[in-house]
Amino acid sequence: MVNPGYKHFKGEDWVDPTPPPAHLPTVDEVGCTGAPLKSASFFIGSMCKEYNEDFMLCKNETRDPEHCLLEGRKVTRCAIDALQKIQSKCLSEFRTHWQCLDSKNQELGRCRQQEKVLNQCLFAAFGWKKDVPGSPANKPQIHERKPLTS
Amino acid sequence: MSSSAAPSQDMPPKGGFASIRYERRLPRRGPSGVVMFGICGAVMAYGWYRVHLGLDERRELDREKMWSRIHITPLLLAESDRDEYRRNWAAVEREREIMKDVPGWEAGKSVYSGRRYMPTVIANVPIHQQK
Repeated sequence: MVNPGYKHFKGEDWVDPTPPPAHLPTVDEVGCTGAPLKSASFFIGSMCKEYNEDFMLCKNETRDPEHCLLEGRKVTRCAIDALQKIQSKCLSEFRTHWQCLDSKNQELGRCRQQEKVLNQCLFAAFGWKKDVPGSPANKPQIHERKPLTS
Repeated sequence: MSSSAAPSQDMPPKGGFASIRYERRLPRRGPSGVVMFGICGAVMAYGWYRVHLGLDERRELDREKMWSRIHITPLLLAESDRDEYRRNWAAVEREREIMKDVPGWEAGKSVYSGRRYMPTVIANVPIHQQK
């Protein structure tokens, strides 16, 4: 037996290969790294608003992971749907943007050119518009401004 | 000695001495103090304006970053919840299998008597139960 601890810590020791229980409906995981998620986050947020809010309200009731599995499946399915929609119409723009994010420390402010192309493509394809909640209304939003330093 | 001669005493000239010009007589050079004060104020005002622009941009960048995280938080939370539930369920199943000969043993029973959910503190993975 391997003692869990500093000396013998290996990541694979902590993997539990048991498949998910059969009484739960199967759902695909998103299987996506951070940069594509960050690139698509505002569109996931606007498209899946109801599901996300429903899930977070459910999580507010209790921390028990069993309590919100149904809402969580809806959230994941909706996010997968959003990502597939983005990839169906704007695959190359999306890829350019998240690869830029990957190389620029995932700072949105340093990939505005690629983001502009992606946003235009998504607006033309689906009419989606990126909106940062809580931004001051009398000024253009941060992704539409000219950056002070570039 | 002789007291007939009138004593002579130095006296100021008739009409008094001319006034002495003691202040410096230099030509006026450069802007006046008020103007320099104004220039300094203008430079500082422009600088503060730029600082304000930078702070505003940084605040909006932070807001954008926070909202991009907020939008994907439910997704990540749902995924980790499913994983936690799966692992916990598997651990309870293993416990039931191991303790099936012990009468009155409740597999997966919480060590607390309250009904509030408490996550398991010790990671319970199969490797720890192998011989």
